[in-house]
Amino acid sequence: MGSLPIRPRPANWIWASAIAFALAAFFLPWLGSGSISLERVLAKTPPDYPIFVQLRVSRTLLGLLAGGALSLTGCLFQAMLRDSLATPYTLGVSAGAALGAVLTLALDLNSLLGLPAVWVGSMAGAAVVLVTVAGSSAKQGKLSGVRLLLSGIALNSICTAFILLISSVVKERRSFSITQWLLGSVDAVSYRALLVFAVLLAAVSSIVMTQGRGWNLLAMGEAWAGSRGADLRRLTIAGYCCGSVITAAAIALTGPIGFVGLIVPHLVRSRISTDNRILMPCALLLGGVLLASCDTIGRLVLAPAELPAGAVMALIGGPYLVWLVRKRF
Amino acid sequence: MNARLSVSGVSYLYDGHSVLEGVSFSADGGEFIVLMGVNGAGKSTLLDIVAGLRAPAAGEVKLNNRKLSSYSAKERSRLISHLPQGTRTDLPFTVQQVVLMGRYPHADSWFESDEDHAHAQDAMQRMDCLPFRDRLYATLSGGEQQRVLLAACIAQCPSVMLFDEPSTFLDVHQQLQCFSTLAELAREGALCIAVTHDLNLALAYSSRLLILNQGKLAEDFASEKAAGNSEWLSLLSPRLRMAQTGEGKPWVHYL
Repeated sequence: MGSLPIRPRPANWIWASAIAFALAAFFLPWLGSGSISLERVLAKTPPDYPIFVQLRVSRTLLGLLAGGALSLTGCLFQAMLRDSLATPYTLGVSAGAALGAVLTLALDLNSLLGLPAVWVGSMAGAAVVLVTVAGSSAKQGKLSGVRLLLSGIALNSICTAFILLISSVVKERRSFSITQWLLGSVDAVSYRALLVFAVLLAAVSSIVMTQGRGWNLLAMGEAWAGSRGADLRRLTIAGYCCGSVITAAAIALTGPIGFVGLIVPHLVRSRISTDNRILMPCALLLGGVLLASCDTIGRLVLAPAELPAGAVMALIGGPYLVWLVRKRF
Repeated sequence: MNARLSVSGVSYLYDGHSVLEGVSFSADGGEFIVLMGVNGAGKSTLLDIVAGLRAPAAGEVKLNNRKLSSYSAKERSRLISHLPQGTRTDLPFTVQQVVLMGRYPHADSWFESDEDHAHAQDAMQRMDCLPFRDRLYATLSGGEQQRVLLAACIAQCPSVMLFDEPSTFLDVHQQLQCFSTLAELAREGALCIAVTHDLNLALAYSSRLLILNQGKLAEDFASEKAAGNSEWLSLLSPRLRMAQTGEGKPWVHYL
């Protein structure tokens, strides 16, 4: 037997990403159009204290969590669909969530079942789309990637059509708030909503990340995964449900923010590892850092006006991705 | 441990029409079986059923006197590996990562053990993949990719190995290397079953031939008796004739 191959230390990358995440959570809230003084925050004096706690911190945390959820789902769907262009939105879940949210905005609902109506609407919309897409793609008890992609695209168009229909029949004021929501932005939300989202994300991502080797196998093909001993049925159901739940939860709080779910997995793959056991935790943490940073940049560059985080992400990430594609593929 | 496989009365339906009908055979470790038949004869389906990836509509497969369907996916994959056709990926996995995937049924922990790495190393050495183990799988030539996949199947350490057209995309020399490796694995005690369309490769290396015709097992004989029975050739094409090499081995030539 020859010498053992030198093994990289993947845990180091995960630690480094965790440190970046913690640093972002610590420092980003201090940056913004008005300066915040540390003394006043510690003394809990207005206006610095309420601005810091109720706006900046909650907004940073939302960026960290939503960016993480979307990046993790990007990794997951890219592996499951064996398509490097798959995003959390590929299956049409985002359009369903958006339609649900837009419906609640159009009907001027504030709360449903004791929760914010937009939240309930998004989750319900996402669930309806997921069940429809999965149901129409199942054949002989198996889900096929191609059928999922095609029905996802179809459902996506149908939901988008309904959103256009709704925003053209409602009154102008509501139409404006719908358009606003559809742009996607990281805005301050209540700590209660953040807590629910954080718990959900922690639970779902621990389910997803413990199956890293399974996602690696699926990325090489279902027949390949099956004959290496992966439980295809369980992995497929778990993967699509987990990905859809955290995507819908993120969209409910931020609106549809594109690109983070595509660019972060590709960056981490090309710089760190393709192995989902390392890729997924790193993408979760760094995706959060990226979205929260883009949000911070967005409130600094045109201050006091604000640029939506999604737009900043596209302006910075787009050229970088084009450069990466030229260099790597 | 020598494997014992028995397939009895296996049938399979696809979209309502019959693909396999009452296929029965049994086989033991040490055999190198080549499964042949025209396109659509049901070869890949039969291989999938033996691998436990599809459930037969009727009949059953037993491995070591136990029903295949009663094994869990991981238990089954410690005993059977299957090399499917057309395994490709867009994502940048390295050769070593692909080969280590063969250790999935053996490792419970998040990361592979030293033992897993040792098996992967041996398998890469055997399939001559070590020189490019850090390259990306997607950037390799078709022949190199096939060697990597074979190495992953070997690293899995199964007692039954199934190969669906393992020599596609390989140049002539690599086809010979591939089939001599399969014959060697069989000599070491594994039961190897390969699907191929190359008659002379099959005759040169296998110990037994199974011919499927329209979903039925039409012929089942030892490869050394192939010369005495040329009926089976007409099931594959009317333009084939049996001949002999200078050393008296059977050889198929084309009209």
